[in-house]
Amino acid sequence: MILSRKAKEAIKTALAMTIAYGIALQMDWDKPVWAGFAVALVSLATVGQSFNKAALRISGTLVATVVALAIIALFPQDRWQFMLLLSGWVGYCTYMMGGAKYQYFWNVCGFVSIIVCMSGGPDSANAFRIAILRSQETGLGILVYSLVAILLWPTKSQADFDAAAAKLAATRRRLYQVFLAQMSNKDIGAETQELRTQLLQEQTRFGQLLEAAETDSYEVWEMRQQWRQFQRLSTDFATTMAGWHENFIELQMLDIHSLLPNLQTFGKELDVRFAQVERMLAGQPPEHQPTSIDLDLDKAEIQSLSHFRRAALAVTRTRLQHLETLSRSLFNIVCDIKGFGQAVDVTAIPSQPHTGFVFDPDRLTGVVRVMTTLWLTYLALIYIPDIPGGPGLVNMGGVFAMILAGTPQLPISKMFMPIAGSVLFGAVIHIFVMPQLSNFIELGLLLFATTFGICYLFAAPKQALSKLFGLAIFIAIANIVNQQTYSFLGITTTAMMFVIIFLLLYIITNIPFSARPEKVFLRLLGRFFHSCGYLIHNLHRNPRKRETRFVRWQKTFHVHELAGLPKKLGVWARFIDSKALPGISPLQIQAVLTGLQALSYRMQELRAESGGAKAHSLVKELQQDIKAWRDRVEETLQRLAGENNAGDKETLQNRLAALIDHLEQRIEETMGRAAEKPVTDRDNENFYRLLGAFRGVSEALVECAGNAHTINWSRWREERF
Amino acid sequence: MNQIPHEFAIGGVFMPPLMVVSLLGTIAAVVTALLLNRYRLSRYFSYPPLVFVALMVIYSVLIGTFIIRV
Repeated sequence: MILSRKAKEAIKTALAMTIAYGIALQMDWDKPVWAGFAVALVSLATVGQSFNKAALRISGTLVATVVALAIIALFPQDRWQFMLLLSGWVGYCTYMMGGAKYQYFWNVCGFVSIIVCMSGGPDSANAFRIAILRSQETGLGILVYSLVAILLWPTKSQADFDAAAAKLAATRRRLYQVFLAQMSNKDIGAETQELRTQLLQEQTRFGQLLEAAETDSYEVWEMRQQWRQFQRLSTDFATTMAGWHENFIELQMLDIHSLLPNLQTFGKELDVRFAQVERMLAGQPPEHQPTSIDLDLDKAEIQSLSHFRRAALAVTRTRLQHLETLSRSLFNIVCDIKGFGQAVDVTAIPSQPHTGFVFDPDRLTGVVRVMTTLWLTYLALIYIPDIPGGPGLVNMGGVFAMILAGTPQLPISKMFMPIAGSVLFGAVIHIFVMPQLSNFIELGLLLFATTFGICYLFAAPKQALSKLFGLAIFIAIANIVNQQTYSFLGITTTAMMFVIIFLLLYIITNIPFSARPEKVFLRLLGRFFHSCGYLIHNLHRNPRKRETRFVRWQKTFHVHELAGLPKKLGVWARFIDSKALPGISPLQIQAVLTGLQALSYRMQELRAESGGAKAHSLVKELQQDIKAWRDRVEETLQRLAGENNAGDKETLQNRLAALIDHLEQRIEETMGRAAEKPVTDRDNENFYRLLGAFRGVSEALVECAGNAHTINWSRWREERF
Repeated sequence: MNQIPHEFAIGGVFMPPLMVVSLLGTIAAVVTALLLNRYRLSRYFSYPPLVFVALMVIYSVLIGTFIIRV
């Protein structure tokens, strides 16, 4: 009988669960349920992913144990200082959990601290024993699962990783071909957006699989620096492609092949490089080495263009040159990885500069909610006698509050039914089945069968949360210990505890700011336009005026918002209920998001060009005209931030176009006078790139305003239960 | 209905009357909220989550006073 992959994974988890319980009961350790939790949580699709999660869990547990014991030791008789320090630490862990790295480590640090403190705090004589027990049981669960995963049907990440790398390369090449054709005004249809989304998804998956493959595959570990560089180059490629695409509107009226005479040869060379990268990733040696090529400009043809068209062309050329560098770097790095060429010095390639610490308001909101939950449950524990759950109320309250802080889009109502179902299932097993068992063989069969059933039925990645709740609640309700007792009252008390926790979380999540996806979307949208407005306002500062630290911090904050908010909006948009908002389609929302992303890129480009351009005499001459354009853009952004509507797209486009045309006229006059003081080609290119960035922001803003105008925002602002 | 407050017994399991009243009050509040959403009357409230909590309390008090004594 050939078993399917999900059956094999279910068998592995069930076997590990049974063995972990067997060892814990045999050694007469208290709370074998903690070993069960470890097995339930580290069982993932591949050995590498499981090992990574296990490593994060055990290190988080050890750190949390040390911190919890320190908190108990510092304030053994001062309950308010005790909770102040504990809630502060858990708040810090919640904030760090929202970052890019080691999210699960910080999650474990937070909730394990709560568990050890609430189990050991009231009973400080046993605090050390409980802390060690938690580490022991967690280590046992991880060790047992790791051994089962390595020895029984080990599933390595290498095959999935190689497939993901190949798929990423193929999508990248296809996207490049589509964009090149689009630039030449060939109609590609709706493939662009689909490919861009696909590229983003594949990049995310590649990143996840790389982490897993580094753990369970020696070949990948050996070349990990090169693979990381491959990942960085892929991200840079996606950003450059997005920026390149934004220029297409401006290039529509141009005969691009006349202006860039060797564009076809240039385009073909890059396509060949991407094809060779695909070939090498499939394990075949390259048939063609990259040849040096530069994108030529027909200087005579350019003279007939307006300054803004020249600017658009300059920006496009820069991007294509950057793509040439990227394609060459990608070719070399893959050559090195696959052993077809010379080693590449990865340290020579600079990584992204560090922007400094910036507070994220959304992560801070999560911190406030978690700390509030902890305090309310603690106060309830102290002041309400015999509250259901006792210290377990604080434990579970903290755990669920941290889960919601990590995934704020998850509605609480969606969690209620899986948990209620799991409690009912666990109750039936605990009351009707377990009293009939008389030895570990029978108990082991029950554990194996139940764990197998849950893992098999909820095997799909989308059902991961249901699987987790099912396993965790079942083993918590079953409460298997050596001195086994059965109590219906215990189960009803646990059920009541969950009801209280959900009620509390519902109140905290919705007060004072609504957690409805459309309301959150509106708040984030307002913040985005507000940040854009701030950055436009502070674009060209007076170089004689020294910036204070606070102003520098403010700018960094708004730049961070500009880069991060479109992604957050994209995540929240998926949860908006279109049925409750009639007349609004997902396509309209997607158009708004695409416009926001474009505006974000253009603003970043404008900032980069404004910061990079030297004190150009031409820019100084045009200051008043640029200011007039800036004032108009700021006014539009303020309207979008406040009312989400800047009026009719055509009216706005005409107003901005009039300002741009006036600016163009002034450029002609200024360039005429500048002939007396010659400027270099490089200065001219910088100037045109700056102009291109201004125009780009105008175009993107008009597009944003147009998309926003089609949506009936008043329905979004209506209050609903 | 018996006017003296007493526990509810289901299969030998005793439940306090306040728990039953709270549960019924919550169900009534949920139904009211769904109806208010359905007929777009919820837009007249400035803060529906607080209104929901208030409805729960009101229904619990009414049920506890007139239907199931607590």
